[in-house]
Amino acid sequence: MKKAGLKLGISGIVTALFFWLLSVPLGPAPPLGKFWNPQTGFWANTQNVKRTDHKISVASEALSDSVTVFFDQHQIPHIFASNNHDLYFTQGYITARDRLWQMELQTHAAAGRLSEILGSRTLQYDRYQRHIGMNYAAEQALEKLMAHPKTAEAVEAYAAGVNAWIDQLDPSEYPLEYKFLDYRPETWTPLKTALLLKNMTYTLAGSNSDLRMSNTRAFFGDSFIKKVLDISPPLNDPIIPESKDWNFESQAPEKPQHSFTPAIVDTVAPFQPDPNNGSNNWAVSGSKTANGYPILANDPHLNMTLPSIWYSLQLHGPDQNVMGVSLPGAPAVIIGYNENIAWGTTNVGADVWDWYEITFRDSTFSHYNYDGEWHPTTKRVEKIKVKGESTVTDTVVYTHHGPVVQTSGDEPMRSNIPKYHAMQWIAHEKSNELRYFLDINKADNYDDYRQALQHYESPAQNWVFADSSNIALTVTGKYPLKWDEQGRFIGDGSNPSYDWQGWIPFDQIPHVKNPDRGFVSSANQDPAGDSYPYYLDDDFAPYERGRRINEQLASMEDITPKEMQKLQMDLFSYHAKSILPTLLQHVKTDTLSNIHKKAVTELTEWKYENKGELIAPSLFNAWWDELYEAIWSDEYQQTDIPMEWPSRDQVVTFLHNNSSSKWYDNINTPEKETLKQLINRSFNQAILSLQNKHGDWGDSWKWGYINDTDIRHVGRLPGLGRENVFTGGGGESVNAIRGSHGPSWRMVVQLGPEIKGWGIYPGGQSGNPGSKYYDNMIDEWRDGELFPLWFMRQPPTATDSLHYTITLN
Amino acid sequence: MLLALFIALTAWLLSLVFPWWSLAISGLVLGAILGKSGKHSFGYGFLGIGGLWLIQSMISHINNNGILTERVANIFSLPYPWLAIVMTVAIGGLAGALSSLTGYYCADVFLDNTDK
Repeated sequence: MKKAGLKLGISGIVTALFFWLLSVPLGPAPPLGKFWNPQTGFWANTQNVKRTDHKISVASEALSDSVTVFFDQHQIPHIFASNNHDLYFTQGYITARDRLWQMELQTHAAAGRLSEILGSRTLQYDRYQRHIGMNYAAEQALEKLMAHPKTAEAVEAYAAGVNAWIDQLDPSEYPLEYKFLDYRPETWTPLKTALLLKNMTYTLAGSNSDLRMSNTRAFFGDSFIKKVLDISPPLNDPIIPESKDWNFESQAPEKPQHSFTPAIVDTVAPFQPDPNNGSNNWAVSGSKTANGYPILANDPHLNMTLPSIWYSLQLHGPDQNVMGVSLPGAPAVIIGYNENIAWGTTNVGADVWDWYEITFRDSTFSHYNYDGEWHPTTKRVEKIKVKGESTVTDTVVYTHHGPVVQTSGDEPMRSNIPKYHAMQWIAHEKSNELRYFLDINKADNYDDYRQALQHYESPAQNWVFADSSNIALTVTGKYPLKWDEQGRFIGDGSNPSYDWQGWIPFDQIPHVKNPDRGFVSSANQDPAGDSYPYYLDDDFAPYERGRRINEQLASMEDITPKEMQKLQMDLFSYHAKSILPTLLQHVKTDTLSNIHKKAVTELTEWKYENKGELIAPSLFNAWWDELYEAIWSDEYQQTDIPMEWPSRDQVVTFLHNNSSSKWYDNINTPEKETLKQLINRSFNQAILSLQNKHGDWGDSWKWGYINDTDIRHVGRLPGLGRENVFTGGGGESVNAIRGSHGPSWRMVVQLGPEIKGWGIYPGGQSGNPGSKYYDNMIDEWRDGELFPLWFMRQPPTATDSLHYTITLN
Repeated sequence: MLLALFIALTAWLLSLVFPWWSLAISGLVLGAILGKSGKHSFGYGFLGIGGLWLIQSMISHINNNGILTERVANIFSLPYPWLAIVMTVAIGGLAGALSSLTGYYCADVFLDNTDK
């Protein structure tokens, strides 16, 4: 009895301990019992989307009529509804079914709420999101969204649809990532849609180099900026043809007479969007195409993730029939076409984020100096919930410019007067981009397009357009009226002439319709050349992609959609063509080893195509990187402060124009280096670094591997991405795949009475890592194949390519 | 063997309504009623839940062509996808074994002292 009691005691305690162990999270891993049991754990996610014909009943008042959703073989939903409310409701419902976790994560990240699910390791990230005012921006947007009946209806119906999906979910049906991170979805709100849209402004118009430019001016002086950072490469080819006559008077304000020298007391390094964010779009007029109607093409380059940023669908309602890609979390189609028109986008890198030096009265930050007087600040309290810890309260100070991003930190103050930086950013404006999307979805012609664009403010985009007889492009956005170079450096926050002083009128923003050359195009380059009367920015994408596209389009006749798809896959590198011959000329061939000789041969025979199968692009890229470092890093590394580096095409121009320069000398060595020495040294260094990183010369040196394309999980969970996709391309090629960045959606549309579209993105429609539709389009995308999109004019009859049908009522 | 079968069946029924830990109820009760010795109740407890979880996870695995098995194995850095199934069986099996064993000892102490 005694012995038995002891056994019971031990067994009972061990059992209790074991069950406890299975019920608690182990470090970052989810509770074992909850996650691994086959009934409700991850195994249940192998079957949580029904892909057969079925009917779904939603709450009685949710839909006013029944809605039919046809899924094609690519799992693209084609939604047929009899009114717009039902249409957007169903878009929300179906998008949530396929992408719920991604939708919520993206808006949590935008709002600075990641710590709620990930704990204190993301606290710094969340703080930054709060300090740049993302929630403030979204609240501003929401106000305007809800003030317009049509956009209010759309976001509310969409939210109701998402919530209808969430409400019927059993915990065993939660997407895998919820189970892994052990939390549950919350109610979707229109505010989240606003956050998502403002987050696009963050991704695409979060660029600002004021601090780096100010530091560079302070460290290297004005002449360096003039001689290097102001270089405009001769091959620049602006978006709007330079022949354009700007027949209006500039309303730009006058430049202050004395330029302000900022004190730069804090060194907050501003977020930089990935320099590879870019895109191509173009439209060719009917006079240049085989069937006499325009063709439009677009490929936006973004960070490529699984699930993809895009979700493809068709929306068919009483006043619209539109197809393309949507952003999970927002109603409507973002890039696509309808029965009459097509449209697409690339980013405009205009300077819409400026920093101001603010002088506060004292360290309470309650008042700041403006126009000779002390003005009160406002304060916004941000509460950041942290998983497993207590809530962190953060107070952000706002001036009339915008939030003061850093008011505490490690940097000691240099004087009694605290000086910090306030930011003014376009995202903080009340705007309603959704109104543009709803209108362009329904647009029939050029006038509708221009009308719709008036509601589009940020992030500024080159919206390209085509209908069956017109092509057009508008460098669309709300741009502050600035004097020349206003906002290039940190501004004087106390001086009203540094404020944004109104906006460039819509009619005066750069646009072009049916130009003589028969095409319009954009690749993020300088929008309008020097003759444009307003200052937009100094820093646009290098000329290479834009020039290549324009030259190709100019030389083409009788164009077919297939040829446009081929141009999207073009691998030519203008960068290599412009500088490689010069580099090779300087190589001292007499003293080369065998491997170096082999490299020179490869490069000499290279046709400047960034093909994955070749080794030459790897050699050239490594060589260029080493040379760039050798020229600039000795001087730039004299200080820790962040500075602005010259862009690729500026350096090429500099090398062409300066056969000798003090910048070629390595200041860390006693000898005086020449350009020839740098070129030879960096060539040796490049070979050495390829050997160190990738072993001996061989297949592993092929550009397809070195380009290093990983398509990672959007929440960076290991194992849920696709690693090592063998790709060609480069940041300077039209096919701009570089690392994990690249064409996140490729689309070609043939206009005319029989409008026809093709498209693909590197991912899959399903967000479930257990689905074969999670990453099924990556291989075809890599190979440059675009799927013909099934654009339904009416509900289809059953065919092989129809996968299944859902009816909601 | 009967012990394993009954544990699997009742645990499966309970899991349709209650969270995963409801399997402890099957283990405790059936271990108490049908357990013959410590080894016997531990072994068949393991077999019962381990077997149930093996069958359930194998069905999911096969229906899904192993896509998710491989992904989850990657998340946890398991070198082979099948280790995800082994892991599932081990967790379920041990939970079943321990609760069945405790059930048996409970009966041993509180119900009667005669050998079963």
